[in-house]
Amino acid sequence: MFISIENVSFSYDSVEDGQPVKNAVDGVSLTVEQGEFVAVIGHNGCGKSTLAKHLNAMLLPDSGKVYVDGDDTADENKTWEIREKVGLVLQNPDNQLVASIVEEDVAFGPENLGVEPGEIRERVDKALKAVGMYEYRLHAPYKLSGGQKQRIAIAGILAIQPQCIVLDEPTAMLDPSGREEVMSTLIRLNKEMGITVVLITHYMDEAVSADRVVVMDSGRVLTQGTPGEVFSQVELLKKHRLDVPQAAELAFRLKGCGVDIDRIPLDEAECAEMLMEVLQ
Amino acid sequence: MSSILELKNLSFVYGQGTPFEKTAVDNLSATIEKGEFIGIIGHTGSGKSTLVQMLNGLMRPTGGQVLLDGKDIWSEPKKIREIRFRVGMVFQYPEYQLFEDTVYKDIAFGAKNKGLTGDELDKAVRKAAEFTGLKGELLEKSPFDLSGGEKRRAAIAGVMAMEPEVLILDEPTAGLDPMGREILLSQIVNYHKERGITVLLVSHSMEDIARVAGRIMVMNHGALHDFDKTKSVFAKGGELRKIGLKVPQVTRIMQTLRERGVDVPDGILTVDEALEVLSSLLKKEGKIW
Amino acid sequence: MVRDVAFGQYFPGKSLMHRLDPRAKLVCFVAFVVLIFFTFNYAALGLIAAFTVFMIAVSGVSPKFYFKSLKVILFVVLFTSVLNLFYGSGEAIWQWWILRLTWNGIHRAAFVTVRIICLILASSCLTFTTSPTELTDAMERLMKPLAVIHFPVHEIAMMMSLALRFVPTLLEETDKIMQAQKARGADLESGGFLKRVKALIPILIPLFVSAFRRAYDIATAMECRCYRGGSGRTRMKILHMSARDIMSMITTAALIGGVIVCNIFMTSVI
Repeated sequence: MFISIENVSFSYDSVEDGQPVKNAVDGVSLTVEQGEFVAVIGHNGCGKSTLAKHLNAMLLPDSGKVYVDGDDTADENKTWEIREKVGLVLQNPDNQLVASIVEEDVAFGPENLGVEPGEIRERVDKALKAVGMYEYRLHAPYKLSGGQKQRIAIAGILAIQPQCIVLDEPTAMLDPSGREEVMSTLIRLNKEMGITVVLITHYMDEAVSADRVVVMDSGRVLTQGTPGEVFSQVELLKKHRLDVPQAAELAFRLKGCGVDIDRIPLDEAECAEMLMEVLQ
Repeated sequence: MSSILELKNLSFVYGQGTPFEKTAVDNLSATIEKGEFIGIIGHTGSGKSTLVQMLNGLMRPTGGQVLLDGKDIWSEPKKIREIRFRVGMVFQYPEYQLFEDTVYKDIAFGAKNKGLTGDELDKAVRKAAEFTGLKGELLEKSPFDLSGGEKRRAAIAGVMAMEPEVLILDEPTAGLDPMGREILLSQIVNYHKERGITVLLVSHSMEDIARVAGRIMVMNHGALHDFDKTKSVFAKGGELRKIGLKVPQVTRIMQTLRERGVDVPDGILTVDEALEVLSSLLKKEGKIW
Repeated sequence: MVRDVAFGQYFPGKSLMHRLDPRAKLVCFVAFVVLIFFTFNYAALGLIAAFTVFMIAVSGVSPKFYFKSLKVILFVVLFTSVLNLFYGSGEAIWQWWILRLTWNGIHRAAFVTVRIICLILASSCLTFTTSPTELTDAMERLMKPLAVIHFPVHEIAMMMSLALRFVPTLLEETDKIMQAQKARGADLESGGFLKRVKALIPILIPLFVSAFRRAYDIATAMECRCYRGGSGRTRMKILHMSARDIMSMITTAALIGGVIVCNIFMTSVI
């Protein structure tokens, strides 16, 4: 078990009177295994972003514990070690690139860690190649597309050589092609480099690519399981006004009409296959 | 029906005459009827944003004309500000334009610039707030204390309050979660229905466009690739994919079935439609009843 | 549009100018700027102008970008030169109302014009061929001795490099906000001074709000990437002074010598 979240609650202080408001995260327990790809979905304000910031000690729980590779995030001596192990990528790609040249930005993390210059160079080149942005190493970030910027941000975290990357709605501000770029990059990092990925998103079609989907609502875990298990609970998701992939919704509603369907399909190929079977 | 917007050989070239010359919109002609709901799609950089900014006179075409109600909007350049009240424009992430100390004042900003005063102004503001589902008590709050979704709606209300004849929205649902997207979209549909005005919606979300638009403009490399009824546009799914666009998942599923010899019609856009078609097929075969 | 500003941009490349050590470049640049204001006759001025042209030639950046950077300050140049034109002392060669044209004024105008142009071109040359990171890096290393007296060298260098990084982003944002407010009928072009200043409020407030939000985000992102101040930090790029850099400094020294010689042997015209 790589990350273990044990009964964590957290609330922000109100802007008006400084008093804690309703819990943003309310008694969440969750584990993430080494090498896993976990998607966390839910509405804006369901607490998923707050939870993300707990994974690398950016926020500390009001109650409960978060352990990263056995270390308590509340232990101040371990803070930087934890941030080296768990990298966090944020939503707005513009606001996480700190240097005016792509390669210098990617070097920022290892520079902070005091890595030797020669090794920084190696790490930067490797990270840029891993996200497919090596040819752009001398470009200025502000001239790149949103998807490219977000891949640079991911490379900047990769150069720290973390075991786990947490991404807080990395595709929310991107166009469809940018979203695809980022998603295929993440899947490659997870499958080929064995990096643990925790993806916070509100796009259901992205969650379908994960090993496990966690659904959050009002600061709590509503349900979790494989994408197949989660998206077959169409009723529950609809009740909480969450999206379901159209393929799953179609199958679910056909089932409701009395059609004999044993497995809810998640993508179009699967769905078309199933419909052909039913129709024949 | 009569046309409200007529685009005649419209072109826009950035940095004309410099070495950086770049054509964003290339000799585009189209006619939009009064009261239509038009969807505009195209990948990033296809010229959508430049096109819509020419429609309300924020950018002046380098070639061709935009006719609003039959009159060239640039016939009197000094009066171009009036055009902006008649063709309202909501930019992407409009919440960054909020600046007043109360939501009410912010919504009123455009309408006041237009010259509305007193009761007329008050009515326009309250009506716009109602259309976007902003509750009365929010109007006296600072716009910076609102939630992300509320800010977005306040910004949109600010354009609606100008009571434009044409409303253009550039990616109004960008960055919202599924529920927020759905609510906002239905508010826009409702607004279109009640006010009977012309709406142009730029979006990357084919699912959204499929649900609301009557006709679709497909932009590619600055040119109008296609301009047709929503169904006909999505029926040419393969073509759209070639220019980097994705049709809704359910449309693709039904297309696959069609290609494999199942008797389903072309251009199915929503789960509801697909369900209807499939269940009637299954009924015929006696698999459900 | 605002984002067309070429001044302060960096163009990656491999020219002689690009390959110079940023510290050498910075030292030479500072020397050159001081020198610009120590030119008192046309020979010295010519030397400075010729050197500026030489720098542009070896920068590998197209002259059109230099013209673009000049365009921005064209107004300033015109204004100051006209002011100087009628501000000279000595015998008037032409007079109308309070406008007095003198030879001294003409010289002054010529000097101030060439000086400003050289200054802008030289700084453009520096920023065109040196990335902001290199620049702040050079500054940080050159000022390192000051850290002994607790001068926050690293912090200032970091702030400068962040500011430079976000200049284009904020310019783009300003543009976007202006378009959005214009779409709501904001009138930015007409009216008197007071009205125009007032018209800026709808632009400045959103800009500040967004800048603060960005600052907060950047701080979070930097902490996520293990930033904790300057101590213990290493740099990817190691700076080496090479023969090239020594040569560049010798050339600059020669230029200083040339200007001094001109000033000694020729009479000042201003």
